[in-house]
Amino acid sequence: MKPAVFSLEQPVSVAQLMQSGEGRIVAGGQSLGPMLNFRVAQPSHVISIAQIREFSLVEETEDAVIIGACVTHAAIADGRVPDIGKGILPAIAQGIAYRAVRNRGTIGGSLCHADPAADWLCTMTALGAAVLTLRPDGGRTIPLTTFVLGPFRNALQPGEIVQAVRVPKASPEARWGYYKACRKPGEFAHAMAAVFLDPARDIHRAVIGAVGGAPIVLEGSDVRIESAERALLQSGLDEIGRIMQLAALRRAMEQAA
Amino acid sequence: MTITLKVNDLAVSAEVAPRTHLADFLREDLLLTGTHIGCEHGVCGACTVLLDGEPVRSCITLAATCAGRDVKSIEGLERDPVMAALREAFSAEHALQCGYCTPGMLVTARDIVLRLPDADEDRIRLELAGNLCRCTGYNGIVRAIRRVLSHRPEVTAPSLPPVTRGTFRQFSLDDAAAPPAAQISAKFTGDGLHETLSIALPPEQVWVALRDPALIASCLPGATITSRDGDRIRGEMLTSLGPIQARFKGDATLTYDDMARTGRIAGSGRDTASGTRMQAEATFRLVGNGPAASTVEIDLTYALKGPLAQLGRGPIVRVFAAELAAMVARNLEARLRGEETPGAGAALHAGGLISHVAWRWLRDLLSRFHVR
Ligand SMILES: Cc1cc2nc3c(=O)[nH]c(=O)nc-3n(C[C@H](O)[C@H](O)[C@H](O)COP(=O)(O)OP(=O)(O)OC[C@H]3O[C@@H](n4cnc5c(N)ncnc54)[C@H](O)[C@@H]3O)c2cc1C
Ligand code: FES
Ligand code: FES
Repeated sequence: MKPAVFSLEQPVSVAQLMQSGEGRIVAGGQSLGPMLNFRVAQPSHVISIAQIREFSLVEETEDAVIIGACVTHAAIADGRVPDIGKGILPAIAQGIAYRAVRNRGTIGGSLCHADPAADWLCTMTALGAAVLTLRPDGGRTIPLTTFVLGPFRNALQPGEIVQAVRVPKASPEARWGYYKACRKPGEFAHAMAAVFLDPARDIHRAVIGAVGGAPIVLEGSDVRIESAERALLQSGLDEIGRIMQLAALRRAMEQAA
Repeated sequence: MTITLKVNDLAVSAEVAPRTHLADFLREDLLLTGTHIGCEHGVCGACTVLLDGEPVRSCITLAATCAGRDVKSIEGLERDPVMAALREAFSAEHALQCGYCTPGMLVTARDIVLRLPDADEDRIRLELAGNLCRCTGYNGIVRAIRRVLSHRPEVTAPSLPPVTRGTFRQFSLDDAAAPPAAQISAKFTGDGLHETLSIALPPEQVWVALRDPALIASCLPGATITSRDGDRIRGEMLTSLGPIQARFKGDATLTYDDMARTGRIAGSGRDTASGTRMQAEATFRLVGNGPAASTVEIDLTYALKGPLAQLGRGPIVRVFAAELAAMVARNLEARLRGEETPGAGAALHAGGLISHVAWRWLRDLLSRFHVR
């Protein structure tokens, strides 16, 4: 299998990136790579951003950790990035794919790719994260709940790129649960749910991933099985899939109880 | 393009095409055929090599992005002390049969030994989840790794530095970035979906329109009829979803029952670029609701086989099909009322479902296939 022909640009700084032409961004290539090999994606021009220094940094503020788009899952799993509390970030990262994939795959790539079964998509939505974008005339801060439009579709406009992800820190008394059902560790989940309860910050949220569209977000009093049941009817899942999702949600809720 | 990198401790300068992945570069250009290729999409682990000391999938790493870096394939680990111990242990514990998975398995095993000196059997099995072996049943492999872990050669594990601190430019909040999600009205059935359309027009008028294949095609985003011979239609459909693009070419047969006011479209197509095949069948039934209102009931079933089906899992395809169905319904309704279908175009563009180019192309087509 060979990807179709494309040209490649490898800017090493944001300044260079802003000069580059229009093309398909590649970060870790762990999601785009298979699509190129299968020729279901055939971009004519590809821009690799993995070596842009500014995108591989991390910033810690009083109430958040801001993770550069090109920081890898492995770096987060190893604790080479400050945590938001509760060991949440390393625990999620450790469960993504396999070490060899985690060494290349990036948090920004994962969110932009918007695979409904992606770990970061489900959990970052639950944690209330937002992406920081960059475009020639500035940028935007886009909460994940509005960033993802559906499978493989995000709200970025042509020439706009994700530079980092801003993840709010959890209060000491926050509760957290995450459960995913996989036939084999490291494969994309068949059902997944994340629950994040942070009363001090007035957050009660459950997110169901691995559905047919954007993740299902349940807030406040809707963090319960009955609301999930209703929301799942439009998720593209068959009955078995919906039952698995409810089981994942129950377990995530138990963990967070 | 020309790249310079280190491969197995030797400086290499070579001409590579941007699309060449590292596994092909090693095997085809440098004749280092110890790196095996199994799945070419990151799943099997046969192609695992070291990049700057860390295991990576060479099949989904572009060779051109390895310029200036240090690649080690199985051939370059001959004198590595951990690998020497692993080779001996793999042989003693019958950790290989055909050997296809072995180069990748060894690279992963070496990473386990160095990174996780305290790994127990469960952890070893967890770490091996990304390397498929279809011969050994893994028992020998797990034993071999345990053996090396219990008499670990004197080596220091590479320590990876913390991620560098910096600051990011932050911009104002845009929490209305997403247009409202495409409203799915279809009900999901066992292997397809059911859509109901209510149209405020007399059934006679709606039936005349439904009997026109060009009209129906014009309501399906990205679809075009290339030729028509009676009830047989040849056509194309261009779809795109994020980075995914497919152009299905195929044919369909239309049958109508004028008495019962029912019809059926059945067809199949193939996306030549990826080799994905699609089969679809839609049956529809028109019912009059009094003199000035009609209902069209549509049942759609489809099957997708090949790479696209593998990458776009079942639920994703279902939601995609439901979104398409909703658009067809909206477009059909608009067309039947004699309206142009700009609303649908806006939704397509905003949702990014079909690229703007495709929409323009579709509009050009619409002007060619006029409704009688
Ligand atoms: C075998 C295998 C198993 C996997 N299992 C899992 C799993 O269990 N859970 C999971 O969550 N993931 C899994 N993944 C996916 C993996 O986590 C990917 O690394 C991740 O989804 C994409 O990150 P990337 O950096 O590789 O993105 P790329 O493949 O480089 O890019 C993906 C898409 O995002 C766009 N993009 C990337 N970065 C940016 C940016 N900064 N700004 C704008 N657009 C951008 C690209 O244009 C592209 O369309 C798996 C992958 C493989 C190969
Ligand atoms: S060939 Fe690379 S992971 Fe299978
Ligand atoms: S030894 Fe044959 S695949 Fe593993």
